[in-house]
Amino acid sequence: MPVYQYRGIQINIADNDSEYKGYFDAAAEHRLVVKKCQGCGLLRGEPGPGCPWCTSLDWEWHQVSGKGTIYSYQIVAHTVVPSFRDWAPFAIVLVELDEQRGQPDPGDGLRITTNLVDSNLEPEKEENVAIGKRVEVVFCDGDDGFSLPQFRLSGEPAQGQVWQHQV
Amino acid sequence: METSLRDKYCIVGVGETEYSRGSGRTTRALGAEAIRNAMNDAGLTPSQVDGMLSYHGGDSTPSTSIMYDLGIRPNFYMDCSGGGSSTEALVGLAMGVIETGMADTVAVFRSMNGYSNIRIGGTGARASAPIGGLDLMKRPYGLISAVQQFSFTFTRHMMEYGVKSEHLAHIKAAHSNHASNNPKALMKQRVTVEDVLNSRWIIRPVAHLLDCCLETDNATCVIVTSSERAKDLKQRPIHILGVQGRGTKPGGDFHYQHGPISRVAGHYVGPRVFENAGVTHDDIDVTGCYDAFTYTTLLQFEDYGWCEKGEGKDYVTSGIINLGGKRPNNTSGGHLCEGYTHGMNMVIENVRQLRGTVDDYCPQAAEGVHSFDYSEGKCRQVRDANISMNMGWGTPAVGSSLIMRR
Repeated sequence: MPVYQYRGIQINIADNDSEYKGYFDAAAEHRLVVKKCQGCGLLRGEPGPGCPWCTSLDWEWHQVSGKGTIYSYQIVAHTVVPSFRDWAPFAIVLVELDEQRGQPDPGDGLRITTNLVDSNLEPEKEENVAIGKRVEVVFCDGDDGFSLPQFRLSGEPAQGQVWQHQV
Repeated sequence: METSLRDKYCIVGVGETEYSRGSGRTTRALGAEAIRNAMNDAGLTPSQVDGMLSYHGGDSTPSTSIMYDLGIRPNFYMDCSGGGSSTEALVGLAMGVIETGMADTVAVFRSMNGYSNIRIGGTGARASAPIGGLDLMKRPYGLISAVQQFSFTFTRHMMEYGVKSEHLAHIKAAHSNHASNNPKALMKQRVTVEDVLNSRWIIRPVAHLLDCCLETDNATCVIVTSSERAKDLKQRPIHILGVQGRGTKPGGDFHYQHGPISRVAGHYVGPRVFENAGVTHDDIDVTGCYDAFTYTTLLQFEDYGWCEKGEGKDYVTSGIINLGGKRPNNTSGGHLCEGYTHGMNMVIENVRQLRGTVDDYCPQAAEGVHSFDYSEGKCRQVRDANISMNMGWGTPAVGSSLIMRR
């Protein structure tokens, strides 16, 4: 079983992990993938074995653009993870990918959890974190072959309502 | 959906240990004490309790150990995986166990050293454990604790409906006022809205420190039996009108793939439990709305229909939820102030409310004599509490509910 280290945390990706091994294999090649149903053709935001819509268990990995919009976020002022303390406060954002927005039902989307990082892969400044801002994937490579998909601001015009908290 | 079991089952005994930060004991010792206290409360001997149900997250002791300590030989037991919203669900399962004849009287318990062993906030062993499976999509980003799991829902709701930290702080202030009249409460000190806002941030923009529940060591127990058997026992039986267990949003763990993200499980659980119980909102005198975080409480009030969607901020600041208000919530202080026990303490509190014998500072509380003076260090009994409702929260996607009458 491949074992990696990231920020002092042991990452285990089992050879038979049919949900996540392919995802991280693709990330190591700097490709962001989701599962695509071979029954109805819909993509899904979490790589489980079955299609939530047509029930097919047949799927294939499908590369997506890595472009999206911040759908929600949290600024971690206090972290319980010791190896993240030097990052705090840092942003964790829920990114809605451009593919398949509002499908198959309005309000549905491919949403993934990520940090919002800057060009140095360090946490983006809190004042720059807002719902509606446009983001793009960037890959954070470790020394041992592990690569973690992260997102940074793309600089494109925001989409929909832009919102951030006022403290 | 209407059930023939309405009124057929009762909670006849409740008990707990001290709520502490440092029990100095195992979850086995805590569990045995809480169940024993509930048995004594009900007037039940070991041979009269023949069922055990518990829930845990790998942080408790199984029934098979604790039954020995209590001299119980169960005809049925099961230890289920679960956290918040398990209590109400297991009360329903206990009814099923008795209805099928598998057992006659069932003790439902939760035992945890949530501060001194497996910390509920995620600090310590949980934060440094190796990562695999589903956690691969969360923990490499520093997302681990419960409030973090819920925060995408909270933040989005804040944007959509204009909730401010001040609104949330009213929930903590109300529950702290209630806790100040609860000798058992871990945090009895009354706090103000300003105190909450001045406490340090945990997760912006949704949770200051005082918006978060208390990591606690404790065990809790409720005992369920038939109304027929309840007649011979010590306490006024509290009848179960309706129960719904662990209803979920579409998508389960992945509910945030679907809209609306700011909707929680109460949207699905609420209509069923009200129909099941045969009552409406107006019939309810006291609520136990889960307060893992202040935002948890606000969202459930909306989606269980106590107000329109988006008006939770008005509901929680109106005074309705305060002792002396129209429908007080979490009169023990709840998870925010009494202690954190994954929901069971709120069911215990409502049983005591419906009995009319809440253990406040009134000298004759045990005989049901109360002053109804809700100032600090006085009474917390709700006047004429006839029907209660508990709303348990597992995640934004998972919830349970229990409606009881005196």
